[in-house]
Amino acid sequence: RVSSDGKPPKFQPPPKPVIIDRKTQKEERRFLSPEFIPPRGRTDPLKYYMERKDMIQRRKVINIPEFYVGSVLAVTTADPCASDKSKRFVGICIQRGGKGLGATFVLRNVIEEQGVEICYELYSPRIQAIEVLKLEKRLDENLMYLRDALPEYSTFDVNMRPVPRMAHEEIPVNKLQVRMKPKPWSKRWERPKYNIKGIKFELPEHKMKAAQKWSQPWLEFDMLREYDTSKIEAKIRKELSEELEK
Amino acid sequence: MRLSVAAAISHGRVYRRFGLSPRSRLDLLRNLVTALVRHERIETPWARADEMRGYAERLIDYAKRGDKDERAMRMADFWLTEKDLIHKLFKVLAPRFQPHPGSYTRMLQIPNRDGLDRAKMAVIELKGNPLPPLVRPRRDSDKTLLNQLLKGYRQDAQRAA
Repeated sequence: RVSSDGKPPKFQPPPKPVIIDRKTQKEERRFLSPEFIPPRGRTDPLKYYMERKDMIQRRKVINIPEFYVGSVLAVTTADPCASDKSKRFVGICIQRGGKGLGATFVLRNVIEEQGVEICYELYSPRIQAIEVLKLEKRLDENLMYLRDALPEYSTFDVNMRPVPRMAHEEIPVNKLQVRMKPKPWSKRWERPKYNIKGIKFELPEHKMKAAQKWSQPWLEFDMLREYDTSKIEAKIRKELSEELEK
Repeated sequence: MRLSVAAAISHGRVYRRFGLSPRSRLDLLRNLVTALVRHERIETPWARADEMRGYAERLIDYAKRGDKDERAMRMADFWLTEKDLIHKLFKVLAPRFQPHPGSYTRMLQIPNRDGLDRAKMAVIELKGNPLPPLVRPRRDSDKTLLNQLLKGYRQDAQRAA
């Protein structure tokens, strides 16, 4: 370098490294269990506040992991009749219902060619452990159509090992399209009211067109039916993080 | 077996039933919302005005998002049947209501309709409209006893100071 006035050039400190803090970015996207969000209605928010306190108490005792509809879970419950006083059931979660302490989830599996569905309550004291064997999402929020699908889509190995998952990765969406048994089904899944994306319909064209007759295109524009939960969610997240740190 | 009583009970239902079908109800309310955006003050039966109020305010909330937003534009396109009003909604009404967080409409009951049905009518208007005000705020006259006493007190305080 050519020095100005004969002295060594002025020391230029190296540019400061830009630290992108991944942890704080991921914190914003943390999972909030759907049963914490109160439904729209005229009930006193005090009821939901008290239920949330009890739910947090229970969560401090037992770890209820994050899971979605379409993930495979193993649940051990207490049972007085069993030899070990506990029973283990493995299945795919097809539905998550209820709000507050009565929140439930339904697990389905096919055991010895018999389809079995068990509805567990998340906060029941009889549940000893909930383990997520495979964490993934599906294209729909409700997989009740698996009852009318071929049994291979509902069978899961009872001694399945948990699928290892890298921490802080995006939850994979399984875009599986399920094949169905021949009609009649328990519900007319091709109708637009169910809005199912995870079935590979092999029905003839005229049947699919006839099902569209029941579509209600104006529902999407009915603004008063929308329930914006962003502010409520933010409040509940803050409450939860404060309580769980105690 | 009394089937008719159960059909008349509507516990917890929030949406009123208008017209021939749910589609027709939305069309009716859509016409009213368009008229409100065009004339900024309309007279309608009270029930229709009440139902329409929620939709009008949500439409303005959508318009506040800006016209670049895809969903806002689709909503405005559906709800306003006269397409020149979409421009008015995004360029005139959205900036007017930008500082306000909530209620953009005012609804007042007026005397029943003159026709045979004597329907309960209401006038619904957007706040900040250029028309003359519906309600003139009445100031208390200076000649009431309380105001005279207060005036005297103020004068005494000024003389003492």
